[in-house]
Amino acid sequence: MVAENVKKQLALAVRSIQWSYAIFWSPSATQPGVLEWGEGFYNGDIKTRKTNQAVELNSDQIGLQRSEQLRELFESLATAEATPQTKRPSASLTPEDLTDTEWYYLVCMSFVFNVGQGLPGRVLVNGQPIWVHNAHIAEKCIHSGTILIFPYLTIFIQVNLVTSQLGLGIKTVVCFPFLEGVVELGTTDLISEDLGLIQRIRTAFLDILDAKDPKKSGPSLKTRYDIDVASVALDHNAYDANYTSPNSSSNAFEANQQLHETYMVERINGGASQVQSWQVMDDELSNGVHNSMNSSDCVSQTFADPEKIASVPNDQNQTDFPCAQDLQECNNTKITSGDLQGDQWHYQQVLSVLLKGSDQLNMGSHFQNNRKEFSFVRWNKGESMGCQRLGGGTSQNLLKKVLFDVPRMHMDGLLECQEENDFKDKERMKPEVEEIGMNHVLSERRRRAKLNERFLTLRSMVPSISKDDKVSILDDAIEYLRKLEKKVKELEACKELVDLETKTKRKPQDMVERTSDNYFNNKTDNGKKPMLNKRKACDIDETWRDDESVALKDSSTNSITISMSNSEVLIEMKCPWREGAMMEIMQAISSFHLDFHSVQSSEADGNLYLTIKSKFRGPTVASAKQIRQALLKAAWKC
Amino acid sequence: MDNSTQESHLRSENSVTYESPYPLYAMAFSSTPPLPSSHQRIAVGSFIEDYTNRVDILSFNPDSLSIRPHPSLSFDHPYPPTKLMFHPNAHSSLRKSSSDLLATSGDYLRLWEVRENSVDTISLLNNSKTSEFCAPLTSFDWNDIEPKRIGTSSIDTTCTIWDIEKGVVETQLIAHDKEVYDIAWGEARVFASVSADGSVRIFDLRDKEHSTIIYESPQPDTPLLRLAWNKQDLRYMATILMDSNRIVILDIRSPTMPVAELERHRSSVNAIAWAPQSYRHICSAGDDSQALIWELPTVAGPNGIDPMSMYSAATEINQLQWSAAQPDWIAIAFANKMQLLKV
Repeated sequence: MVAENVKKQLALAVRSIQWSYAIFWSPSATQPGVLEWGEGFYNGDIKTRKTNQAVELNSDQIGLQRSEQLRELFESLATAEATPQTKRPSASLTPEDLTDTEWYYLVCMSFVFNVGQGLPGRVLVNGQPIWVHNAHIAEKCIHSGTILIFPYLTIFIQVNLVTSQLGLGIKTVVCFPFLEGVVELGTTDLISEDLGLIQRIRTAFLDILDAKDPKKSGPSLKTRYDIDVASVALDHNAYDANYTSPNSSSNAFEANQQLHETYMVERINGGASQVQSWQVMDDELSNGVHNSMNSSDCVSQTFADPEKIASVPNDQNQTDFPCAQDLQECNNTKITSGDLQGDQWHYQQVLSVLLKGSDQLNMGSHFQNNRKEFSFVRWNKGESMGCQRLGGGTSQNLLKKVLFDVPRMHMDGLLECQEENDFKDKERMKPEVEEIGMNHVLSERRRRAKLNERFLTLRSMVPSISKDDKVSILDDAIEYLRKLEKKVKELEACKELVDLETKTKRKPQDMVERTSDNYFNNKTDNGKKPMLNKRKACDIDETWRDDESVALKDSSTNSITISMSNSEVLIEMKCPWREGAMMEIMQAISSFHLDFHSVQSSEADGNLYLTIKSKFRGPTVASAKQIRQALLKAAWKC
Repeated sequence: MDNSTQESHLRSENSVTYESPYPLYAMAFSSTPPLPSSHQRIAVGSFIEDYTNRVDILSFNPDSLSIRPHPSLSFDHPYPPTKLMFHPNAHSSLRKSSSDLLATSGDYLRLWEVRENSVDTISLLNNSKTSEFCAPLTSFDWNDIEPKRIGTSSIDTTCTIWDIEKGVVETQLIAHDKEVYDIAWGEARVFASVSADGSVRIFDLRDKEHSTIIYESPQPDTPLLRLAWNKQDLRYMATILMDSNRIVILDIRSPTMPVAELERHRSSVNAIAWAPQSYRHICSAGDDSQALIWELPTVAGPNGIDPMSMYSAATEINQLQWSAAQPDWIAIAFANKMQLLKV
């Protein structure tokens, strides 16, 4: 039935548009009313090019060869029995060599379609091309045919196909009627509908077939048939309408016309010669009807036996049986139907995975039916947008806590006991189980143990520890360090003064003195606050504050505090009392062009306490540091 | 029914709600399918940032749509459980009739036997041979093909594979450069993990020297927080990123390039779960308080993929589990509630 050169034409057609494959679905010779694999040409990606290619082939030949090999492989798989390895070498390809697209192509060989079923089946009924470029839909409609599953292939389908790209690779599929069957073209690219493309293919394709057909006769008469074969086929009358009456044909046409669709129409003459028309116009139609009378045969005989259609159930479960028949008829395998029953589970699973998947989660119907029973509603963009953004600040709040915070909390909790353990571990540590892993864990644990050890040491060194946690230990240590730094500076300054004092001596001068008890002591309490904060907090240009450390309270050291705000200068100081010290200090200060507002002084425990409020005459010229140095010199020079 | 008095659930038209005295995070369905007029066990773990956490066992009756707590089966779990999981296989040598095995992770991996009226610790699995210390576990997964295997992920960058029948470490691998946040089994010996280093890696126990990076987050070092491997079609896995509303669907055969990114959540995603019975469906839940069910198309449209259906909860959904034993039920956790949703 299938013309010898169909394959070549398929090859030319599919290669001309650079698609992945072309399949000709032809009516089954053994099962009337069913479309099965007729011919195919594979033009897609090839994973492994076998090295045993003896001769250099052009790409055309390679494609043909590949298609042959694929067919061989399929047949070897299909006929293989329980011990497939014994028979497999007959094929030059092994399943492992196949690309996804090739798998798809290979599996297609096992498909059969009832009229009206699947993409090819529907094309046959409608007689019009179907273009599917949304593979989401394609997957559903292409493969709702019946698969002939062979035991060995079943395994392969499960192993390879289910986990491979079936349906995913092929993104655009086109089917159109041709001869008595249907041509299917597919590509991995997403190509939007283009009826012109189909026409071009058909023209090129068919012209060649025509030219090669020696039996072609009277083409001029038959160049324009405008009859929808499939419509006729489905027509109840079509069963016995092989010799069509004008009436039935025009009925078919009217039916078509009502649909307002463009049908690709074809007609077969003697099974070989064929012509087509495109874009049926009303005026052409009458011609078409006339011409149709001349054509003597009709494909409907093959396909449109209503009884057959009725007898082939659509349900997959029920098609098991016809499959079993096919299996035995076509492949001479020795599987009993009992075995097949045993394979039913596999079969069902493969089918459901391969063909649909959607029946596994049959949610579509839920939405319509018992809406109340189900929690989920159909997703709606608007509704979703209306939903307010929740959570405010942090996202994934709890998830982050679980992943980030809980481990930390765990670490803290383990700190103590871990320390002890780690010390104990050190002696007997040996990598176990997985050396690298354990080493890592152990080294990490060692590191942490060391850390904790150091923390303990630090803690013991810092006198004022408020709390036991690590942060407090560090805070206190920082504070303590700052104090010590200050102390060092102070002592250095003191040492400087002592040096100076030993060099020069001056006479004391008179000065107005007033006493003020404890004034100084009250002020010094601020000393514990961090210096940095204090500096930034007030609007004083520069502050120098020397604090009396708790530890050194009783020593005879000095303290000078100079606060400057605008042009006002407040000086508080304490120094060892001596004759004339007051005078010298005032003198030293006056050299900075200061006007004195008030001067308070007191004497206690051999120390001189002095508080001076003053103001710069004119623009500020001296920094607090300069004043301070001058004061230090003056106070301790003797 | 004497049950009715102690039932603390709220039943609305389309969901069954259990209200816990404390915030909930971890959650697990028993894998034993309920017999007719029977119930399915559900374990819920509290999330309290203290050492006072608990695991409660509930039973859910899908016929009467009721949830009943079993106070006698509650047990202390001082650290917040990071994950709960029942034994994945209904028939196992470790299991006795009418009892369930429950695993919990947190400070350690623990196994509990849940009987009719009591719960007992079977084992505490500490992967350190040398001390009481075990790096905190972020998650674990029970191998459903080889149920003696449990893999745990830890912040110490390692994954540990346990043989729980023998109670020994089968192997421990440094899986990532940073903390490992989730782990999922694909096959008996193959698992994958996600980490703070932003990568998804696949490991094969037969070749421990190597791992395969199959995805890395676009901004370097954006942590990947959760991983779900499609048990119906092992080609696919899904992961979520920190602070992202995206669910990244990966095809293990095309590494580095996600096959799809689902971006319809209005804020960050907290949990994902593949449908136990379909290879094309995945559920996700996030801070936008929505649970979305997606059907993966074979080809994504230009505007991305829209979810198939949605459910809106009262507040951020933190956890999501899809019952393998009863695939038409999904459990979500938000605040102190667990809600069972009919799919």
